[in-house]
Amino acid sequence: MRRPRLQRWLAWGVAWMAGACGSASPPPPQPSPDEVDPQGQAVVFWYQHTRERESALQEMIAQFNRENPHNIQVKGEYAGSYSHIYNKMLVGLQGGSLPQLVVAYQNQAQVYHSADGVVDLLPYMNSPKWGLSPEARADYIESLLEQDRMRGIQMAFPPNRSMEILYYNADWLRELGSDHPPRNWEEFAQFCRRAKAQPFSKAANPQRAVGYLLDMDASRLAAMVFSRGGDFIDPAQSEYNFNTPEVKAALQLLVKLAEEGAVEVLAEPNGDTREFGSGQLLFAIGSSSGLPFMKRAVNSGAKFAWGVAAVPYEGERPVVNVYGASVALCRTTPEQQLATWLFLKWFTEPEQQARWVRASGYFPARRSAAAGLGAYFAENPNFQIAYGLLDYGKTEPTAPGYETVRRLVQNAMVDAMDGAQLDPLLNRLTRSANATLEPE
Amino acid sequence: MATERQSSRGKRWLTYGGLGLCGVAAGLPFVWMVLASFMTEGETLRRVLLPEQVQWTNYALAWKEADFGLYFKNSLIIAVMQVGGTLLFSLMAAYPLARIPFRGREVVFVGILGTMMVPEMVTTVPNFLLINWLNRYSPIPWLNNWPALTIPFMASAFAIFLLRQFLRGIPGELWEAARMDGAGHLRFLFQIALPLCRAPLLTVGMFTFIGSWNSLAWPLLVTNTPEWRPISVGLQQFVSEAGPEVHLQMAGAVIATLPVLLVYFLIQKEFTEGISLSGLKA
Amino acid sequence: MKKIPLREQAIAWGFLSPALLVLLVFGIWPIAYALYISLHRWRIKQEAFIGVDHYVRALSDPALYNGFKVTFFYALGTIPAELVLSTGLACLLFKILRGKGFFRVLYFLPYITPVIASAVVFRTLFSPHPSSLANRFWGFWGFENQRWLYENKSVVALGLKALGFSTYPAWVDTFFPSLALVSVILYNIWVYVGYNTVILLAGLSAIPRQYYEAAEIDGANPWQSFCQITLPLISPTLFFLSTVAIIGTFKAFNHIYILRTPGARDTTDVLSVVIFDQIFQNHNAGYAAALAFILFIAILVLTLVQNRVLGRRVFYGD
Repeated sequence: MRRPRLQRWLAWGVAWMAGACGSASPPPPQPSPDEVDPQGQAVVFWYQHTRERESALQEMIAQFNRENPHNIQVKGEYAGSYSHIYNKMLVGLQGGSLPQLVVAYQNQAQVYHSADGVVDLLPYMNSPKWGLSPEARADYIESLLEQDRMRGIQMAFPPNRSMEILYYNADWLRELGSDHPPRNWEEFAQFCRRAKAQPFSKAANPQRAVGYLLDMDASRLAAMVFSRGGDFIDPAQSEYNFNTPEVKAALQLLVKLAEEGAVEVLAEPNGDTREFGSGQLLFAIGSSSGLPFMKRAVNSGAKFAWGVAAVPYEGERPVVNVYGASVALCRTTPEQQLATWLFLKWFTEPEQQARWVRASGYFPARRSAAAGLGAYFAENPNFQIAYGLLDYGKTEPTAPGYETVRRLVQNAMVDAMDGAQLDPLLNRLTRSANATLEPE
Repeated sequence: MATERQSSRGKRWLTYGGLGLCGVAAGLPFVWMVLASFMTEGETLRRVLLPEQVQWTNYALAWKEADFGLYFKNSLIIAVMQVGGTLLFSLMAAYPLARIPFRGREVVFVGILGTMMVPEMVTTVPNFLLINWLNRYSPIPWLNNWPALTIPFMASAFAIFLLRQFLRGIPGELWEAARMDGAGHLRFLFQIALPLCRAPLLTVGMFTFIGSWNSLAWPLLVTNTPEWRPISVGLQQFVSEAGPEVHLQMAGAVIATLPVLLVYFLIQKEFTEGISLSGLKA
Repeated sequence: MKKIPLREQAIAWGFLSPALLVLLVFGIWPIAYALYISLHRWRIKQEAFIGVDHYVRALSDPALYNGFKVTFFYALGTIPAELVLSTGLACLLFKILRGKGFFRVLYFLPYITPVIASAVVFRTLFSPHPSSLANRFWGFWGFENQRWLYENKSVVALGLKALGFSTYPAWVDTFFPSLALVSVILYNIWVYVGYNTVILLAGLSAIPRQYYEAAEIDGANPWQSFCQITLPLISPTLFFLSTVAIIGTFKAFNHIYILRTPGARDTTDVLSVVIFDQIFQNHNAGYAAALAFILFIAILVLTLVQNRVLGRRVFYGD
C-alpha cells in the first residue's frame, strides 16, 4: 500500500510544480495509473505524416484497435504540418478540444506543458501495473528518452529519431585516393580541397565540383561541434557558451575552406541533395530522414556508389547529433490518458518499432527493434551503418527558448562566413542566447 | 498617309513585342509548373527543360494519393457559398456607404476597413474560440462542417470597399430619374445599379473565389476529418521530410490552379469597351 | 447640414446589417479579443494580467523597429511601381485588338500560380550561382556576381563596394534596404501587377464610351484623353488600389516568408514575419498580439492620412 500512495504524492507534486510554473490555478491531482481502468476508451492521435507513412501508421492503428484487450479505439488524424498542429494545439488549449496524443517537438512539448496541456509520462512508465518492465526500460536508448525529459518531467516520448550523418560519394573519393570516408576534420578538409581540383568523372556537369555545401542551420553546426567533443550549453542546461574551442574550430575550418572555394554556402533548398545526386558534391551533412530522397537523387542522377558515415570526429568515438519529433500525452481524463499510454507502449514495442522503421525510414528508440530489421538492413546498408551510430547520440539543448537560439546561431553562422571576427561574434551570440534563458 | 500608317504599325509591333517579352516573364513560373508536372522526379532534380516522356501518371497518382476528388468537390461548394454570400451582402452594404448619407457613415466605413488591418495569424485564435462556442450552442454543427468554412467569409471589407467606389461613380441623375418613377432604394440597387456594376461584381466574385480556393490554415484548423477538407490540404500531402516530390506537387498544383484559370478567363471577357449610358443626356 | 430623414437612415442600416453582423462577429470581435490577449502574459494559455507591459517592451525591441523599417521599404518599393505598371498595362490590355484574352490571362498568371511553384522558379532565376539568369544578366552589364536573396548588405553598401570603397559606416546597412529585400520586392511586384491590372480593367470598363467619343470629336490626342478622361474616371479605382495596397503590404506575409533565407538574416522580416516568429518560434502569443495591435494602429493611421490627403482628389463623377 505504500507504493501507490508514494505515486500519488509524486503525481500531486509534479502537478503542483507544473501549476506553479505559470497557469492561474493548479490542475487537479492525477490519480495513479494503477487505479485507472482504460476499458473502451477512445483516443485521438494528431500527426503530420502523409502518404506511405500515413497509410502504414493507419494500418498499425487498425491492428491495435483489433488486438488490444481493453477495447481501446484509436483514431489517427492528419492535422497538417508541425506549425499547423501547433496552431491547432494553441487554440485547443484555450477551450477547444484536445487530442489524446499529439506529435510535438521538444520546445513545443515544453510550451504545452507550461500550459498544463500535456502530462508527465514518468508515472506511466514507472507504473507497476501498466508501465515498462525493467528489461523494456533498459532497452530504450537512454539519451533519446533524456532528450524529452526536462526538469525531471518526461514531457514527451520518442517513437522514432533521426540523426545528422555524413553522405559521401564513394566512387569520387576513390578517384581522389581514399577508400573510406574521412575519419576526422583534417581528412574532410583535405578531400574537400582535392574534390575542388578534380571533378568527378561521372558528374553531370564536369566543370562543377564542390567539396561541401554549407547549410546555415544550427543542427549542422551542432553536429560539427559535438563531433569535436563540444556542446552549446552546460550539462545542467542552464547556461550557453558559444565561444568554445570546438565552435571556433568548426567555424574557422569552414571559413578557410570557403576562401579556397572547396566549400560553398548552400544557395537553394535541397540544392545539396540535387548536386550530390549529380555527382557534383563530394560530401553532404544532413538528416538521416533524407536517405530515401538522396537515394532517389543518385539513382536518377549520376548513379554512383555512395555511403553514409558518422560526421568526422576528433577523439576516440564519434558523437552524433540525434533529434526528431516526439509524441506528447495530452491532459484529458485519467482513463483516456492511460488508454493513450497503452497505445504508445504498444507502438514502441520492438515488433511495431521494426514495422514503423520499415515504413518511415526513421530510427527506432529501442535496441531490440533491430532484431526485426534484418531484411531492411540488407536492402538499405546505409541505413544500417547510420543505425549503428545511435549509441553515440547526443542531443541539442533542451532549454526552453532554444528555438530562438537556433535562429541566433544561424545568423552568427552567416556573419562568420561573411568574415566577421569570431571572438566578438561568439561572445555576442552567447550573451543573446543566455538572454533567452532569463524568465520573462 | 503612308507614314501615319507606318508609324502606327511600328507602334503596334512595339506594343505587341513589349507585351510579349514581359509576358514571358509573367508566364514563366506557370509554364515551368506545367512542364514539371509531366516530369519524373529525376528530371525535376536535374533541372531539365523538357520532360523526355510525358508522365501522365503523375496526375493520376496525385489525384488518388491526395483524395483530390473529394477535396475538389469540397473546395467548389465552399467557394460557391463564399462567393454568393460575399457578393450579396457586400453589395448591399456598399450601397448605403456610397449613396445614402446617413449618420455615422464615415465611422462605419473606417470600421469596416479596420477589419482588414490585422494580420490573420493573430485573429485565428479568437475566431476559432468563436466557432467552438457556436458549435456548442447552435442547432447545426459548425466544426467539421460548412458553416465554419463559409460564414466567417461571407462579408469582405475588400468587396465592400471596391463596390462602394463603383457605386459612388454612378451619376446622380439616374437616381433622380428612378425616384421620379417611384422606385425605392431596393429597386434602384438591384434593377439599375447592379447591371452597371457587372465588372466590379465579377472581379470581387473572382478574388473571393481565389481566396477561398487557396486558403489552407483555417480549413486545417476547423476540420479534423477529411470530410470537408478543401483542395489546398491535398497539395500539402506532397511536402514531407523525406524530400518534396516536386513532380507530384506540381501535378497537384496544376489541378488546383486550372479552375481558377478558367474562372478568370470567363470573367475577363466582361471587361469590354466601357458601358453605354444610352438614353441619358450627358 | 441637411437633416437626413429617419426612414433613409433605417434603410441604410438595414442594407448594412447582414454584412455588418458577419464583420462584427468575425472581424471586430477577434481584434478586440487580440487586444485582450495583448494585455496579459499569454504564452499559450491566459496567464496574469500585465496591462501595457508588452507594449512597453515592444517600444524598446529592436525587432519591432527593424520590422517597421523593412515593411516601410517594402511598401515604398512595391506600391508605386505596382500602380504605375498596372495602370499602363491595364490601358494596353484594354485597347489592344488581337489576343486580348490571351494576354490578359498571361499577365494574371503570376497571381494565380501557387506560391510554391512561383517561388521555386524565382529562387532559381535569382540564385547566387554565377550561372543563374539574374547573375548572367547582371554580368552582361559588367557587374559582379550577386547573392540576391541571400545578401543581407544594403544596396547602397553594394554600390559603394562596386565603386571601390571597401569600408563604409554601419548606418549605410541599417538605413537602406538589403539586396535580399529588393529581390523580395521584385518578386512581389511581379506577382501583384496582374492583380492590380484586373481591378483596373474593371474600372476602365465602367467608363462610358460617350466621353471618349466626344473627346475624339473635339480632336484630343490619346495622351490628353488619358489625362482628362481616363485618369479622373479611374481615380476611384486607383484610390481603392492604393488604400488596399497600403493595408496589404503592411500586412503581407506569404509571398515574403516563402523567400526567407538564412543569408538575408532579418533584412526581409516584415512586421507580419516578426509576429509570426513570436507565435511559432518564441511561443509568446501575448507579445505577438501586442505587436499586431501596434501594426494595426500604424495601418489605421496611414489609411486615415491617405484618405485625408488623396480622398478629396478622387473624382466620383457627381
